Amino acid sequence: MTNFDVAIIGGGPGGYVSAIRAAKLGLSVALVEGRELGGTCLNRGCIPSKTLLKNAEVINQVKDSKKFGIQIDSFSFDLDAMVERKNQVIGQLRNGINSLLITNKIKLYNGYGTVDNQKVITVEIGEETEKLEAESIILANGSKPFVPNLPGLSNVPYHTSDTVFDIEEVPGHLTIIGGGVIGLEIACIFQSMGTKVEIIEMADRIIPSEDKEAADFLAKELKSKGIVIHTSTKVLSFKKNEKTNVQIEKNGKETSLETDSVLISVGREPNLAGLDNLSVNYEGKFVKVDESMQTAIKGIYAIGDLIGGYQLAHAASEEGIRAVDHILGENHKKDFIMPRCIYTFPEIASVGMTEEQAEAKGYQVKSQKVDLTANGKGIASSENNGFMKIISEKKYGEILGVVMAGAHVTEMVSQATSFMYLEGTMEELEDMVFPHPTLSEAMFEAAAKWLDKGIHY
Amino acid sequence: MAKEIFMPKLSSTMEVGTLLQWFKEEGDSVEMGEPLFEIMTDKINIEVESYEEGVLLKKYFNVDDEVEVNACIGYIGEAGEKVSDTPPATEAEADSGEKVQDDSSVETAGKTVGANADSYENKDGKVRATPAARRVSRENDISLSAISGSGPNGRVHQHDVEQAIAGGVLAVTPLAEKIAADHGVDLSQITGTGARGKIEKQDVLSYLESVNMSDQETAAFPAERIKLKGLRKAVADKMVESVQTIPHVTLTSDVDMTNVIALRKSLLPIVEKETGYRLSFTEVIIKAAASALCKHPQLNASLIGEEIVMNKEVNIGLAVAVENGLIVPSIKNVNQKGLVKLTQISKELGKKARENKLKPEEMRGSTFTISNLGMYAIDAFTPIINGPETAILGVGRITEKAVAVDGELAVRPMMVLSLSFDHRAVDGAPAAAFLTDLKANLENPYSLLV
Repeated sequence: MTNFDVAIIGGGPGGYVSAIRAAKLGLSVALVEGRELGGTCLNRGCIPSKTLLKNAEVINQVKDSKKFGIQIDSFSFDLDAMVERKNQVIGQLRNGINSLLITNKIKLYNGYGTVDNQKVITVEIGEETEKLEAESIILANGSKPFVPNLPGLSNVPYHTSDTVFDIEEVPGHLTIIGGGVIGLEIACIFQSMGTKVEIIEMADRIIPSEDKEAADFLAKELKSKGIVIHTSTKVLSFKKNEKTNVQIEKNGKETSLETDSVLISVGREPNLAGLDNLSVNYEGKFVKVDESMQTAIKGIYAIGDLIGGYQLAHAASEEGIRAVDHILGENHKKDFIMPRCIYTFPEIASVGMTEEQAEAKGYQVKSQKVDLTANGKGIASSENNGFMKIISEKKYGEILGVVMAGAHVTEMVSQATSFMYLEGTMEELEDMVFPHPTLSEAMFEAAAKWLDKGIHY
Repeated sequence: MAKEIFMPKLSSTMEVGTLLQWFKEEGDSVEMGEPLFEIMTDKINIEVESYEEGVLLKKYFNVDDEVEVNACIGYIGEAGEKVSDTPPATEAEADSGEKVQDDSSVETAGKTVGANADSYENKDGKVRATPAARRVSRENDISLSAISGSGPNGRVHQHDVEQAIAGGVLAVTPLAEKIAADHGVDLSQITGTGARGKIEKQDVLSYLESVNMSDQETAAFPAERIKLKGLRKAVADKMVESVQTIPHVTLTSDVDMTNVIALRKSLLPIVEKETGYRLSFTEVIIKAAASALCKHPQLNASLIGEEIVMNKEVNIGLAVAVENGLIVPSIKNVNQKGLVKLTQISKELGKKARENKLKPEEMRGSTFTISNLGMYAIDAFTPIINGPETAILGVGRITEKAVAVDGELAVRPMMVLSLSFDHRAVDGAPAAAFLTDLKANLENPYSLLV
């Protein structure tokens, strides 16, 4: 039986990042992955969606070209070529991970692993099984789309994020069940390709966990593009007709809608395969861990989607790094300052607390929102739709959270994260020099306005 | 040309120093201000810094060697330079111009509770720092008080200053700084947990929480907080060191002061005429103690490292309460002085102490200490030894008590003496014998004339 310092189950952004960090810090590392390296993020999530969103963005720009004085009389696109490009992107990044594993001398086991309390992992590789043992184990099993048990669903064709990025034909009508991040990004992809998109959300707004102003803004923007959004709406059942018939209930009234295609994006559930023999504790469906990512079993850690929480790739990576640090005897006490990005058109990016969360925590909250409408760079590039909002605490000007809505905000949120991580306050933010013209100037304007010293506001 | 390294003379009484360790080997390069070796004197251990830059060419002495003051113990020069294989002859008082190391660094560091030396030696406040550190801090316009020293008792070394310059005096996030300022927290009290020790919000909050454990900030009348610094800090450090390292035993004995009172009464006008000062019981007790110490030299000894140093001089330190602390001026060669001289010296030292005008040498060299609380309603107490001394005498009030004298009940002016001794150096029997003799000296003060 081969022995390792650390064995990691799952080669997604949580698992492979932990593996490389552990190896860099001198540990011998095994990585067990039954499917492709890169996990959901690279193969069925973040990367394919961003690749196709770029295609969608180009299509939108072509459609918009007239307002820049460019006449494009007709254009067409090739879905197969788009999917092919997506597969190339995935292939390139997957090879990158593979060579990183080799460079860092990480032993990769291509098979599904089963873990027991004695920290022995049995890996099924084809017909064979191989056993390995490790001082510490990091469970980075990830998650899979949650498909609710709705009447008739099994009788109709439907997509999840696992299949939709390999779709062969652009549907004429797409019904998306679930107005969360995944559903909204896919809505934007297909809307740009000409699909009539309807979103059904059970809560009273889309992206219910995010800032309400951002959610309302995004809903308005999506509606103006022609996307239909049903909030406070429950799916009752599916019926197979020539098309698919979706029975819904809104405000106590039952109606139905006809659709070509259904996407189920109501959330994700942890992948618990191979954990049957482990006496870890659970919190709901998810594996329960402490602040060092350790499960109830000493030396066995769990990270990423398996433990719920943020369910973001970079959260999984960071949690993995924290687990490795703990294996090496280091204790982090700091809370994560976790940025969250939604790559819709326009984008939403946020970090830290929402106003509601800050108030619930007992802070004296003072927020400042600044619109991008009058932003020079925004107007010049016709991207002045959106806002930046700083959620701050009154006394010290501590920045508790930042919400950004608009073009390119996912690239700008790290500025806010830096400020929060380095504990800068509103005064420093106002004092700092921002380049002009940029969209990011809005951060300065918000801080200046907060201090009653706004220049343009 | 190679420069000699001398055994520094750290105090007027120092004759030899014991080499505790070399920080450098022969052939090592030495920077100015770098600690070169550590020595032990009859009072303190001290790191001696180099005042030259170059290569340590020669070490003439090894660890634990006793070396005379001003003897050449090695050479610093350029690599490859030849120096003699045997140390050159000692000059009686080596010319200080040639000294490789810096005596004043040692003077400041020689501070004990009794030696509040650098308080008036530097204008940078009461910060212990080496001359090299002071020079670098002056050149870089950085306050020594903001730097935490890595040397003994927090003494600031040159590299501490350089580190402070390189890393900023205190790394603190803007938010943490605001919260600290708002709560009036001294950032230097807080240990940062961020990158390279940066103080973050949570560090300040944790500190505040720890502070709030001991008082209620919510109370209607919150406690005033006074930072332990300067003399108060020196006293605190010295007391902790003494109590933690010295196994104290305290003996008490009642003394009938009838005869001392009579003696004082008859000597008062004589002493006053000679000195202008009134003879007090303290001087008589000092005199009586000196006499007893001569008979019991163990109580006049110092315990330094692994050695009991049998002091030849009887120098008695007198604990004087001053604002915000306690200092101990020392009366030299008490056994050779009469009450007139003792009164004069004791009164002058007390006055200087209260006015903070004592010279360093007036605070050094005591071999035994007396702490008199007789002006208060105190009978006995457990005084803390002023290390490296091996004993301290606590003096209580004189109060009339009913005692049996020759089988009859009598009212006599009685005083309790409390003697704490270091049980590592002295055992109970000799300490008891000393106290018994001292009691006899006081009950029959005319014996002091013999």
